[in-house]
Amino acid sequence: MIQNTQFDYTPGEHEAEKASSSYLMSLIALVAGLPLPIINLLATLFFFLGNRKGTYFVRWHCTQALLSQVSVLFINSAAFWWTIAIIFEDDEITNKYIAYLIAALIFNLSEFIATMYTAIQTRKGIHVKWWFYANLTDLICKKS
Amino acid sequence: MKKITLQGATIILLFFTTWFLLDQVDWMTLFEIEKNTEKTEEKLGELYLEIFTNEDSEITEPFVIKTVDSIISKICSANDIDHDFIKMHIIDHVETNAFALPNGHLILYNNLIRESESPEALSGVIAHEIAHIEGNHVMKKLIKEVGLSVLISITTGNGGGQIIKETAKTLSSTAFDRGLEKEADLLAVDYLVNAQIDPEPFASFLYALGSNENEMVNSLTWLRTHPDSEERAKYIIEYSENLSTEFKPVIMKPTWDKLKVELKKD
Repeated sequence: MIQNTQFDYTPGEHEAEKASSSYLMSLIALVAGLPLPIINLLATLFFFLGNRKGTYFVRWHCTQALLSQVSVLFINSAAFWWTIAIIFEDDEITNKYIAYLIAALIFNLSEFIATMYTAIQTRKGIHVKWWFYANLTDLICKKS
Repeated sequence: MKKITLQGATIILLFFTTWFLLDQVDWMTLFEIEKNTEKTEEKLGELYLEIFTNEDSEITEPFVIKTVDSIISKICSANDIDHDFIKMHIIDHVETNAFALPNGHLILYNNLIRESESPEALSGVIAHEIAHIEGNHVMKKLIKEVGLSVLISITTGNGGGQIIKETAKTLSSTAFDRGLEKEADLLAVDYLVNAQIDPEPFASFLYALGSNENEMVNSLTWLRTHPDSEERAKYIIEYSENLSTEFKPVIMKPTWDKLKVELKKD
């Protein structure tokens, strides 16, 4: 699922720090205690936009970080609105709802662990590629 | 591109498969969801009831209880409502009000019964509050106004007496939102018609007092907390026009007159 590889070039200290920070953006939003699913994405998006003219290594990892947040956003948004419907509308807590929350939790936890690991490795200048997201990033993010 | 699409589809499939497999486990029983939900509502009902019965005395005169309860019994049996769940309490209070608390507690202030022009008008108010109970509007309102975490902390004893008192005011002094009020009104009409109780006196009660601008209206808290009485009366009448049935008196006149006399003694 996660692969450590060599990048096209050896990134500098400054680059590694910025690339690592792109993953930390989503973690910071989580640590700040914000439960809304969009906050993590927005934090990562703003960081991505701020580094659009950065080096290839930085841009690449900002893009991978952003893309991973988008997929989790869909899962978390559904959980959020389903919960709102139960609290404020006529929906009731069902087995399907609990199963969905647990599935969402598993995916979020997996994404959290992967993000933490990637942030640490990227900080060392190691190029970490995520299954599916790396291929998508290669498609979107060009060298220059 | 094809590889990416396949990988993306695999991730989506993985999520739905995880969800499906987890759905095979009976989480509701494992976490005792229904039991805990009922417990929370039961506890809240007890706490709020205590607030109101501590402030004013509950009327326990058997004739009064039996007479008013006969209205509830008639509405419940005609509408397949669990009568044991509706717990009526007639409270001696200056205001003219009726409201529902969590866990099926129905509070009627004796002044409301005194001010009701007919047993059918009183039946309408009771049916309206039963509709709120059956529609689970009470808990929804509390969660909206107070917040879920506060409610849970109240039941676990961390909420403090002050929060309970403040939130008790919410239940007795404010109406539900327009949608829920209309839902309760129309459901009340259904309940009344099924029980062969004429809903028109209820509508007339609302209409006459909603269009009356004298001081009496201001003292009728039940109306003050349920705005747009004229509009409500209109749609109740319109709705009930389509429901034709033979109506019967809910309480015989001598019994109703005696009830009023008994309540005047308090």
